[in-house]
Formats: sequence, structure tokens, C-alpha cells
Amino acid sequence: MDVNGRKEELAPGETVATLLARLGLEAGWALVERNGEPVERARYAEIELEDADRLVVARPVAGG
Amino acid sequence: MDDTLTIAGREFDSRLLLGTGKYDTFETMRDAVVASGTQIVTIAVRRIDFDAPGEDITSFLPEDVLLLPNTSGCETADEAVRSAKLARAGGLPDWVKLEVIPDARYLLPDPVETLRAAAALVEDGFTVLPYILPDPVLAQKLEEVGCATVMPLAAPIGSGRGLKLRDSIRIIVEQAGVPVVVDAGLGAPSHAAESMEMGADAVLVNTAIARAEDPIAMAGAFRLAVEAGRTAFHAGVMEEQAPTPSSPIGGTV
Repeated sequence: MDVNGRKEELAPGETVATLLARLGLEAGWALVERNGEPVERARYAEIELEDADRLVVARPVAGG
Repeated sequence: MDDTLTIAGREFDSRLLLGTGKYDTFETMRDAVVASGTQIVTIAVRRIDFDAPGEDITSFLPEDVLLLPNTSGCETADEAVRSAKLARAGGLPDWVKLEVIPDARYLLPDPVETLRAAAALVEDGFTVLPYILPDPVLAQKLEEVGCATVMPLAAPIGSGRGLKLRDSIRIIVEQAGVPVVVDAGLGAPSHAAESMEMGADAVLVNTAIARAEDPIAMAGAFRLAVEAGRTAFHAGVMEEQAPTPSSPIGGTV
């Protein structure tokens, strides 16, 4: 699985939520795109990831 | 006098919008936000660097302040739409400061791509606040496709040069049926006051506050300037005219 251009091993039963937790991001405003499609925050816990997935994980940062 | 700013049906007491970029620390940014009295702050959206994730900016912002995600970094309409949808899906507000900037030198927005993205985002249910060169025709077209505001620049982003394009902004103010937010290039509180005196509905300030020697004090100064300019607009600023004495001509001793 590709996350922000980095290879990540897929854990068994991995969901968007468990991946974010594993990356230490559960508390923040993680914004997720899966294979080019935005993922609704309410579905983070139910979407199971696949090895071929390409994820973009973004967040709010300072900006004008 | 009731003088609330209404954008897309939502009312704001403050007419000063703040950008959150360029502060030395998030603590200073937070204190400047509070001192400014703003109720709308812009944020950007970027990929997380897992090696240096940094702190969560939203935890430093007052809860009653509306977060306005921007589409900075986007050079095309498609990129801007993608960024806005990512932010909304992740739980950020469905409001977006639309900026499409292909020009890295002068940081000027692309009017064609901005209009295209605005139409798509409005169609998709977003409240769209587009950042534009002060082109009155473009402003009208953006209003026609359903934008909630128009946000003409005073001068290029971060330049602090003030109202270099005031005559065009004046036309937009005259014609607009949606709030006009003067965004970018304001370097001093006097620039903000002049924008408001001209009849702009609000201003958006970032660099002039964030890079001031004392950002918190400067945030307060911009707050006062916006209030002064707005009050002056309602009071009716005099027209320029030939010199006339303020004291009686006769009876001098």
C-alpha cells in the first residue's frame, strides 16, 4: 500500500481508522483520499484497505 | 446599529478575516486571532510528512472561529476541486477560499480556472469565496455562478503594498450583490481602513499581522482600523474638493 508515496505494510483487517491510529494520527484532523477519491470521515472505521491502495493523508496547516 | 456581515446566510460581527500562515509559533497565532476579534480564519491543506508531523493547528484555534480551508498550492481548477473535496470529506467546513495560482513569481490567480472551479464547487454544495484579481467582469461572473463573496486582491500576496488596484476594487464594490472581501497585499492598518471606507464589506489579512514585530498588538490595530473604516463608510466620507477655509474669513484681529 502506498501512503503519501511511502510503502506501508497492510495489517490484517486494516481500516482507514486503524491505519491513522498506527501512524499516530487518530486525534488530529486527518484528511484521507483513497485512490483519488476523498474518504468521508464518518467512514474511516469501516473502509477496509487493500494492498493495491494509494492513499493521500493530509491535514490542515497554517495558511493565508 | 446592526451592522453584521452576512455571508451565505451566516452572520459575523467581525469584518476582519485572518490568515494563519507565517507566524513564528502557533501560540502567537492564537493570541493574534483572539486580539483581532476575527470569526473566520483561513487554513491550508497539505500532505502529512510522517517524519515531521508537527502540531495540529486546529487545537490552537478558538472553537467559535470558522475554519476556512483554502486551496493554496493548486494551479488548476481540477486540483482546487480535489483539495476542497478532501477537506470537506475529512470533516472541515464546506466553505472554501478558492485560490488557483499557477504563477509562482507574482502569485496572481488564474481567472479562467478560478471561474471553472467556482462553478463546479457551487454545484457540489460548497460555499465558495474566490480570490481574484480585481476584475469587475470576473467578479460578476463569479457571483452569477453562485459564489458567496468575491475577494479581490489589493496587491500581490505578502507584498504589503496596499490598495494598488483601488479603482478596480471600487467598481467591484459598486456592482457586487455579494460581500466584497479585500484580500492580500494589505500591509498596514491604514490600508484596511481605506478598504472599508471605500465600502468593502471585509478584509482578509495575514502577513501584515504575522510578520509584524508584535503580531498580537498589530492584530488589535487592524481590528480598530477595520472598525474605524466601516464607521467612516457609514458616516459618509467627504468628496475631495478645492481648499476651503475652516475658520471665518473676516473679523481677524
